[in-house]
Amino acid sequence: MAEIDTSGGGGGKHGGKVRGKKLSTKVDLTPMVDLAFLLITFFMLTTSLNKPKAMDLNMPKKLDEKKQDVKESQVLNVLLAGGDTIWYYETSEGKMTDMKETSFGSSGIRDVILKKQKHVEKAFGHDKTVGDKTIVLIKMAEGAKYKNMVDILDEMDITSTKIYAIQDIVPIEQETIDNGGKVKAGEEVVRH
Amino acid sequence: MPKVKIPRKSTSVDMTAMCDVSFLLLTFFILTSKFKPTEPVAIDIPSSRSEITVTDAIKISVDKNGKAYVNYPSAPFRIQALTNMAEKYPAKYGFLANLSAKQKATFGQVETFGCDAKALPDLLNKKPDEIDKLATGIPMDSLDNQLGDWIMAGRYVDPKMRIAIKGDKLTDVKAVQQVIKTLTDKDIHTFNLITTLAGGAKKAEEQN
Repeated sequence: MAEIDTSGGGGGKHGGKVRGKKLSTKVDLTPMVDLAFLLITFFMLTTSLNKPKAMDLNMPKKLDEKKQDVKESQVLNVLLAGGDTIWYYETSEGKMTDMKETSFGSSGIRDVILKKQKHVEKAFGHDKTVGDKTIVLIKMAEGAKYKNMVDILDEMDITSTKIYAIQDIVPIEQETIDNGGKVKAGEEVVRH
Repeated sequence: MPKVKIPRKSTSVDMTAMCDVSFLLLTFFILTSKFKPTEPVAIDIPSSRSEITVTDAIKISVDKNGKAYVNYPSAPFRIQALTNMAEKYPAKYGFLANLSAKQKATFGQVETFGCDAKALPDLLNKKPDEIDKLATGIPMDSLDNQLGDWIMAGRYVDPKMRIAIKGDKLTDVKAVQQVIKTLTDKDIHTFNLITTLAGGAKKAEEQN
């Protein structure tokens, strides 16, 4: 893309003075434009990829601790343990049933929650007096990582579980996990 | 009939205008983009499906070992928070009022800080990048909960400022729960957890 010099140059024919050849002042800017656009692309891509997102978390206020009527068959207890494992159990007549182990992901805890939701819907229909929603209680056992907490909160969003709470773990629950999910006889009562 | 001669034109186009525009855009993007803040520890944040963006917030970082750090949004904010600490809690942090203007300016430059308040006067005589290296985490146990005081000092600067928790994937969840407990004790019940966006899973209803 070199420019063709049309200015005629110095007249060689006429003898006389030797004039310096007039050089064109135009510079080819194409590579510079290429470079500039390359940098623009780079900056646009790196800045947009770097933006962190956030998830909302609402904790209950202590003052207005309203007691809600909750049937125990609505409640699913989910315990996060070390090594990315999850234990869950339901209660029956105030007693803890044996815990089952599952994992994160669509075939693990998500399936458990969805089944529970269907079960609750069947049992209560749309009885507004007891509330027709599944309640998930999340508890952190020994060895749980922050990633697990975010994952389970994500799972709440995926399964559209509206009512869930993060609670402190009760000693007997930790003991049961250490015991491989089997409830020890004699200390089966769990209060909510 | 004579042939019509088409004059040959040069194929080169003047690139000056295009060059101007592209550099203008380049300058714009460089100036508007925020640089990644320097942090005393690298934090590998977990991913979630959430798509809310947080811009300005008091960020509480919790690293792998469960140590807490505080990141206020801007330099004037940091200096004001430091002043508030001495004014609002004179019994506990009265000694912070004796800091020189230079020490306060240094505090303004430290984006994420994490150290015992008692060590601050000495630390602030050093350079900001040295202070980053000496970060030991802000005490947040029930006996000496300085983290809660720093959060309140930030809240006095701007009561509407959001609080965000930035934890590492591998942080023990107990450390995060301690931070949450600190917040709820101070009557802060709504806050954010900082995550990166992960694609994939849709809502269960949408799949069926």
